[in-house]
Amino acid sequence: MSGNSGLGDEVDKKLIVVLRDGRKFIGMMRTFDQFANIVLQDTIERIYVGDCYSDKNLGVFFIRGDNVVILGEIDPDREVQEKKLKKVSWDEITKAAALEKQKKEEEELLKRKIMTESGLTIDSILNIDDF
Amino acid sequence: MLPLSLLRTGQGHQIMVELKNGETYNGYLINCDNWMNINLRNVIRTSKDSDKFWKIQSCYIRGNTIKYISVPDEIIDLVVEEEQISRPHNLSKGDNTTGRGRGRGDSNRGGRGGSTDGRGGGGAGRGRGGDSGRGRGDFSNRGGRGGRGRGDFSNRGGRGGPFQNNTA
Repeated sequence: MSGNSGLGDEVDKKLIVVLRDGRKFIGMMRTFDQFANIVLQDTIERIYVGDCYSDKNLGVFFIRGDNVVILGEIDPDREVQEKKLKKVSWDEITKAAALEKQKKEEEELLKRKIMTESGLTIDSILNIDDF
Repeated sequence: MLPLSLLRTGQGHQIMVELKNGETYNGYLINCDNWMNINLRNVIRTSKDSDKFWKIQSCYIRGNTIKYISVPDEIIDLVVEEEQISRPHNLSKGDNTTGRGRGRGDSNRGGRGGSTDGRGGGGAGRGRGGDSGRGRGDFSNRGGRGGRGRGDFSNRGGRGGPFQNNTA
C-alpha cells in the first residue's frame, strides 16, 4: 500500500516497456526501485510499423525511470498471434520506421503551415520530445 | 537487489549508455553513485543518428541525462553470486558478536516483521534486509546503539512491507 501502486507484482514477469521516445522494450523484469528504474533480462527491442514488426536482442537492460511511459505485462502465449503480425528483418523495419517518421514529419509541417496561414501558431509536437 | 546496486556490480565491465538526447557512450564503467552519475573510461561516443563517432579517454555522465544502460549478461550472475557470498558472511558476523547484541538484533527484527509489517510477516523484514548486504550491515552496526538505529530500520522495514505484500 503506502503509495506503491504495485510494480512488485510485475517482478519476474515478461513486460513491455514503452519509453518517452516511443521505443518499446520487452523483457523479464528482474528488479525496480521507487523511481521506476527497472532492470530487464533477455531484453528485445521491438519496432512495429503497420502490421509488421521486428526484434533485436539486447540482453540485460537498465532503464532509467524518467523515461518510462508504460509498463505492460505480456502474455507470452498470445503475444503476436493475436493481430497476425508479420515478422520482418531488422533492417527492413528500421527503414520502414524511418520512412514513416519522415512522412509524419512532413504531414506535421504541412499542418503547421496551414495553421500558420490561418493565423494560428502552435509549437510543433515534433519538438516536444527532443530532450 | 535494487537496480542501482546492480549497476554498481557492473563496475569494471563494458557498458553502453544512451542519453536522453540519443547519443550513446560505450565504455568501461569505472564508478557510479546513488544518483546514477557515472564515470566511464575508453569511451566511444556516437551521435544521435550514429553517423559521427568520437573517442574519449574518460568521461563523467550526469545521471539524470541517462535514458538507458545496456549491461553485459554476466552481471546478473555476478549479482546472484555476490548475494550468496554476502549472506553466509553476514550470518557468521552475527555469531561472532556478543550474545547480547545478537539477541537484541534478532528480537527486534522478529518483532518488526511480525507486528509493524503485519501482513508481510517476519519473512518480509528479513528478506528485505538480506537483499542487499549493505542493509544488513547497517542494521547490525546500529543494533548496539539502540533507539535511533531502530527507528531508521523501521522506516526501511516499512518500505519492505508493501513490496513483499504485493508479490505475495
